[in-house]
Amino acid sequence: MNLKFKSIYICFICLPFILLLTVESKAQSKTDSSAAADSALLKQVEAQMASAPAEQPSGTQTRSSLSFNPDIGVIGDFQGSYISKGEKNFDMYLNETEVSLQATVDPYARADFFISFGRDAITGKYGVEVEEGYLTTLSLPFKLQLKAGKFREAVGRINPTHPHALPFIDLPNAYVNLFGENGLNDEGVSLSWLLPTKAFYQEFIVQTTSGFSESPAFARSQGNHLVYLGHLKNFFTLSDNATLELGLTGISGPNDSARTTNIATGDLTYKYKPVQMNTYHSLTWQSEFYYSHNNETENVAVNAIGLYSFVQYQLAKRTFLTGRYDYGEKPYNSSIKEQAYSLTFGWYATEFSKIEVEGKTTEDNTESRFYQAWFRWIFVIGAHGAHQY
Amino acid sequence: MKKISLITLFAFIFFYVNAGTIKVVTTLTDLKSITELIGGDKVSVTSIATGYQNPHFVDPKPSYIISLSNADMYVTIGLDLEAGWSPQLLSSSRNTKIQKGDAGYVDASEGIGLLQVPTAANRAEGDIHIFGNPHYWLDPLNGKIIARNIANGLERVDPANKTTYETNLLAFYKNIDTKMIEWQAKMAPFKGTKIIAYHNEWVYFEKRFGLEVVDFMEPKPGIPPTPSQLVKVINEVKANNIKVIISSPYFSTSSSDVVAKQTGVKVLTMATSTGAFPSVKNYFDVFDYDINQLIGALK
Repeated sequence: MNLKFKSIYICFICLPFILLLTVESKAQSKTDSSAAADSALLKQVEAQMASAPAEQPSGTQTRSSLSFNPDIGVIGDFQGSYISKGEKNFDMYLNETEVSLQATVDPYARADFFISFGRDAITGKYGVEVEEGYLTTLSLPFKLQLKAGKFREAVGRINPTHPHALPFIDLPNAYVNLFGENGLNDEGVSLSWLLPTKAFYQEFIVQTTSGFSESPAFARSQGNHLVYLGHLKNFFTLSDNATLELGLTGISGPNDSARTTNIATGDLTYKYKPVQMNTYHSLTWQSEFYYSHNNETENVAVNAIGLYSFVQYQLAKRTFLTGRYDYGEKPYNSSIKEQAYSLTFGWYATEFSKIEVEGKTTEDNTESRFYQAWFRWIFVIGAHGAHQY
Repeated sequence: MKKISLITLFAFIFFYVNAGTIKVVTTLTDLKSITELIGGDKVSVTSIATGYQNPHFVDPKPSYIISLSNADMYVTIGLDLEAGWSPQLLSSSRNTKIQKGDAGYVDASEGIGLLQVPTAANRAEGDIHIFGNPHYWLDPLNGKIIARNIANGLERVDPANKTTYETNLLAFYKNIDTKMIEWQAKMAPFKGTKIIAYHNEWVYFEKRFGLEVVDFMEPKPGIPPTPSQLVKVINEVKANNIKVIISSPYFSTSSSDVVAKQTGVKVLTMATSTGAFPSVKNYFDVFDYDINQLIGALK
């Protein structure tokens, strides 16, 4: 590890502890104050006791019993698929069972775990993995939030979203070419800062991860080379009914040639959702652009680009139609180019189950055009938190 | 240049006027209205949802986090009404003053006599709320309990102005009591009148003013009307000589219109919150509007 990386690494690892010490020392300095502060505290206590709530009328019915158990949910993802090439054209499977466990740890943090019982696409065998498992702070100063554990990294809009919440069944080609079917989902720490911008929402996120979950673009380093990521999210409210989000991401990490791959991405999302009838009609236009610079040898680097763009229209309360265009170049060989068009119809029965059907056609310059189709049924039992807007 | 100076002056006045006020964010406009009545000029209040929006399905836009991150107090209806969006916004706000359990967190449902608390949690019954029906603000007497909870919150975060809040609270109680006499007198001739509602959100209003909701357009809470449910409702309207179907600004009236065409029943879009219509400017206006609409249709 060169000196520059080493310095960044040390700073990043130390920062959270410095922040926690700041909180601690702030609390300490309060308690170490003079008797005058004690007197002020006493007055405050007396004032609060005086304003203690008056006796309220008792409820006509009792509330449900409480417990400290985390919110538990299970999501089933049953799929059927068709592909026009190869020997096995049809298949059916329980693609994934995801168990979520979410709760507040203490006044300082919350924890989220997502355990995935997934099916290997090639062998058909099921395995268990921690899809995500992380702690998020609730009380850092300066509008900071720290996350530590295994998490889906802050690359654009697709990567942080769990696949069952996406409006299509497959993933965009350009995204898979760089980050694989499981996405950039790794172990490390993430620090996010809510910028004090008043006119619009702005959040800056820096993350560093071990590179353990390998993807086409990155590989786990045998040495101390980590993956570093920076993401700037800008969210604009255009009107009560329309919003625009612009995100910029830069990632740098080790590749399978033991050198560095650098990736820059941009994402743009426009949403139109009339506030009054937001459960009946909406429109989303979302696009992401990827550029990767893959250093293969000292003198050879491969530059590749990719993008996807989709429009989702809500036809009625429970029906959605999504059309998507993909273009991608392979990060290790940019002469391989592929294009795809897909159309997905979704019927969202309730907040807890949906059925989707997707058709897709793909062509690239190494093989003839082929067709794919999928069917998926997503169903949720138990608690299920909100997804990102 | 003159323009810039004027803008600067207005900006200065705006910040000067707002300096020192308690910044409150509420989930619904009714909570905003009551907070403004209790807090007076000591508070500046914003509401996340609008008055014409379905409170179950508010999109957790990141822009809401800006006001939450700077808030001194947060007021929520609770009982899982905002479960789909409020927890996510709160934890993203990075504001330690307004998290659940902190002094600036106010659950307006504390002390409310809850109705329709289920004995079992089963989603086969539709979109039910495990703590009880959360639309309790539609009983004006519950407005007094909400106001007490809000005053308690304000006194926790701003004990120096306790006297102001207590004075305003007593004035609010008095106004509710006065208006209740007027509202109940207006509704008295219609006690026991059977009506149909689109969604199960009127139970507190129904109990307070003596109406009887015999069925809903939704076959189960959150499930859109089905043809068989429409047939059932049409038969009920005919059998009971029902005159009104009540709905809310955020529901389509297309299925209610079908029933109206078949039976002659009137479809009323009522105010479920402050700001539902331009004339519904505060919490009291909600009941003035709804009661006037109802008696007009039931006469």
